Amino acid sequence: MEIKNYDDLGSMEMDTLREVGSIGTGNAATALSGLLNRRVRITMPEVRIMEYNEAIDWIGGPENVTAGVLVRIGGDIGGIMLSVLPLEFVNMVLECMLDNKVEEFEHLDELQRSALVEVGNIMISTFINALSGLSGVTMELTVPSLTVDMQGAILAVPMAEYGGQTDYLMTIGGNFTCDDYELPCRLLLSPEIRGLNYLLRKLGVTNG
Amino acid sequence: MANGQKLVVKIADMKMAQYGEELITYALGSCIGICLQDKRTKLSALIHIMLPINMEAGRKNTMKYADTGIRETLKQMEARGARRANIVAKVAGGAKMFETAQGSALGNIGKRNADSVHMILRAEKIPLLAEDLGGTTARTISFDPGTGKVTVRSYGKADYVI
Repeated sequence: MEIKNYDDLGSMEMDTLREVGSIGTGNAATALSGLLNRRVRITMPEVRIMEYNEAIDWIGGPENVTAGVLVRIGGDIGGIMLSVLPLEFVNMVLECMLDNKVEEFEHLDELQRSALVEVGNIMISTFINALSGLSGVTMELTVPSLTVDMQGAILAVPMAEYGGQTDYLMTIGGNFTCDDYELPCRLLLSPEIRGLNYLLRKLGVTNG
Repeated sequence: MANGQKLVVKIADMKMAQYGEELITYALGSCIGICLQDKRTKLSALIHIMLPINMEAGRKNTMKYADTGIRETLKQMEARGARRANIVAKVAGGAKMFETAQGSALGNIGKRNADSVHMILRAEKIPLLAEDLGGTTARTISFDPGTGKVTVRSYGKADYVI
């Protein structure tokens, strides 16, 4: 069954995507764990389909400032992948990698920023590699880009990208815990609808 | 400053307000906040658009797009007694949130939104009194119908008024 909108997804498709998300975030957690030399796990992986304003509430309000690492996906399927890193998570990364931290995002220096880009990029590319290996779908990634700003505007990037096709934002991803301490860091994949159909077909889910 | 009721305009949304109220919309990235006001009656509207042109089949979600958003809002303002000749505009937003080497197939959405807003306002003969467009930072704007002033708030910058 070809879906035309995210709400057309049946329970079987949703389960498949949840599974894919779980494997992707699991791999990203392992990569992060190796990089930081800490025990990193994932909490419940989730697939969400949210109306724009619902998505903004879900991420924790429009104005909170966070660091976002964005990668565009091309190749067989199109999409945007975002790694949303709140200050708490940023400081954990900086402490592990550079043995320092910042009081506020404004104080991030060049080296700290590039460490964050790298962490975001490693999580994203591990997720995509797992997804690609699992489905046999070829995906190309752009160079990662970092921005530190209001999270509502960061989340609006995938919304605007597919805004002409849908009134909803679809995210596949999860949260992380580090040394049993829950850290609010989100890894979000927003696929384009056409690509989503292709991915589901490749994964062997053909009817809902 | 208005100290009355604060009306929050969400994404792909529009609200109207009178003297004494305040219109606010949060975290405009590539989106644009369009403030329209009838100078005489002070009837004001704030639209939070996300994309430049409405190409949806049913054209249901009018406020998501610059073209249908502005035109529908003008219609609703006129229905509430505003006169087209008295309506003026101020706009803010249209930033580029991420610097990516290969842009999307659609190009820079913020820039395209800004171009569309300019074009529609010109076509509807609405004077654009002030604008704060482009750049790379998100903006929260509040619009005071009493004074017509728009306060722009960005992360890491001092507030300023247009």
